[in-house]
Amino acid sequence: MTSPVDQATVGERVVLAFHDVRKTFPDGTKALDGVSFAVPRGQFCVLLGPSGSGKSTLLRCVNGLVAPDAGTIEVIGRRSSPRTLPEIRRRVAMVHQHFNLVERAPVGINVLTGAIAQVPAWRALLHWFPEPLRNKAVALVLRVGLEPQHLHRRVGELSGGQQQRVGIARAFLCDPDLLLADEPVASLDPTTAQDILSLLREAARERSATVLCSLHQPELAVRFADRILGLRAGRIVFDGPPERLDDAALARIYGHGFPTDRLELAA
Amino acid sequence: MIRAIRPRFRDTAARLDPPYDWRTALAVLVVGFCLILSGQRVELDRFTALTGEAILAQLGLAEESQVGRGLGRMIQSLFPIAVEERRELARLSEIDRENLPWLARIERVETTRYELDRQTLQLVPIVETKEYLVEPFGYLLRVLGKMLETLEIALWATILSVLLSAPLAILAAANYTPHRSVYLAARGLVSFLRAIPELVSALFLVLAFGFGPIAGILALGLHAAGFLGKFYAEDIEAADKKPQEALLALGASKLRVLRSAVLPQVAPSYVAYTLYILDRNVRMATVVGLVGAGGIGQELKGRYDLFEYDHVGTILVVIFVTVFLLDQLSARLRARLL
Ligand SMILES: Nc1ncnc2c1ncn2[C@@H]1O[C@H](COP(=O)(O)OP(=O)(O)OP(=O)(O)O)[C@@H](O)[C@H]1O
Ligand SMILES: [Mg+2]
Repeated sequence: MTSPVDQATVGERVVLAFHDVRKTFPDGTKALDGVSFAVPRGQFCVLLGPSGSGKSTLLRCVNGLVAPDAGTIEVIGRRSSPRTLPEIRRRVAMVHQHFNLVERAPVGINVLTGAIAQVPAWRALLHWFPEPLRNKAVALVLRVGLEPQHLHRRVGELSGGQQQRVGIARAFLCDPDLLLADEPVASLDPTTAQDILSLLREAARERSATVLCSLHQPELAVRFADRILGLRAGRIVFDGPPERLDDAALARIYGHGFPTDRLELAA
Repeated sequence: MIRAIRPRFRDTAARLDPPYDWRTALAVLVVGFCLILSGQRVELDRFTALTGEAILAQLGLAEESQVGRGLGRMIQSLFPIAVEERRELARLSEIDRENLPWLARIERVETTRYELDRQTLQLVPIVETKEYLVEPFGYLLRVLGKMLETLEIALWATILSVLLSAPLAILAAANYTPHRSVYLAARGLVSFLRAIPELVSALFLVLAFGFGPIAGILALGLHAAGFLGKFYAEDIEAADKKPQEALLALGASKLRVLRSAVLPQVAPSYVAYTLYILDRNVRMATVVGLVGAGGIGQELKGRYDLFEYDHVGTILVVIFVTVFLLDQLSARLRARLL
């Protein structure tokens, strides 16, 4: 296989590039063991891998929630370092498995906090967001499939699927160049999961945002991804389009004994 | 051998032993013995004897008791409570007889005193007329004014404690403090503030700032800041981490994360703590008044020292009614805000 970095750089602009990134946690767990790949602009790239393979760690390295031990990460043309991290974080949004919303705050405020790092300090502290931003938040809430009356509802009172819609609206508020999603549908039922992933994909495409999304279900990956990265024990063991994710590839990612019939059922 | 006879829960044997053994019994005995020793030191025996006597006296089974007599005399002297204010007119220079204060009247009281006539060596009665300015609700109004002052002391003490403890709590929260040394200093200061009883600091603050409300506000405010600082900080530490991480990942600074992800979570309990502090400050403002830190307590101490127990009665009634009303009010406020 040719190097994934070379593949991506041909003719397209690279939004995210990992070069031999390693991370070992203090307790000795090797979470990332020499990871290299590059993602071109606009791609919907899905991370697959068994539990504990390092998907969350990889995603969290991109926005600096985890600091890698070795290797370099380039995000939107900047090499990740403590100095560039604030700027990187303002242009990279994240959607979380557990939504990570402020449950006691209303939907509107939760969406507006997507811009919390971009407005002047006094506006951030008073929650006095400028009108264009407020209008944009309303438009986004409607775009992700919520109703106007949800705007003033506390997030804690919404269903899981509705909460993830709020999470997506928050992530898109500031038109991120790169969207990270860590198992965004893991706590949702299958139908809602499909709806949320379609929404994520379309909203990203409208804004030509790049997406790096970890998933647990290969069938969903095959359906939504432009490209799939397979992770196992901190190493990339598969990199290719969904069509190439065959039984052999799944066995490489999940080990033998993976029930491949699930995939045929979904297809 | 002993382990074989008395296996503990952590042993692998699949059995459940009774929850107590001889160690528990021994501990109960030791604690009981210590309590008996301590009870003698604080005169619990005398307390039991006196109380028992008082109850028997009430039931008519014994002669009058010391406690019953003392309490009875005290309560009798509180009533009727003083409502009017009566002052000798001759001592009031600024009173205009034609234009008396609202509801006020002048009362003449004739007093007869006997004086020795030097010539006849007989006691002759001399009739004197004294004039009093009587304000029918004068004293009640005065006490209500003092009660208002106490409430104001409590209110400002609460404001002071919130203003002090909010920044202190951020410095004293392990996950938001700028530095470990700042954290330790803030924690130390918070404990220190909480450790000094209001009454003690009021004693010293009265020396520094003189008699009056300033000492009261400072004494109550500083103590409450220690209390609030601790509880605010612990709530910040215990707040759900997930939304905080989400905002951090968006590039928000610590202060912005605090405002947007932590404050909404802790707000309900902050309201509860602050209402409790306000409630406590109202009661404690009365107490610190006793050492001269303003408000109704200062009035109470003055009248008590002058043996004017009917005035003391008025003050006590006003305190009870106020505390009762405030309790109702704060319960409603809490229900509305939480
Ligand atoms: N803060 C941490 N301290 C120590 N070990 C950690 C920490 N975070 C993750 N790990 C370990 O690193 C490895 C990779 O974890 P990671 O969360 O990235 O896996 P994952 O692929 O996201 O798994 P899942 O699908 O269950 O979410 C695991 O073995 C995990 O136990
Ligand atoms: Mg994970």
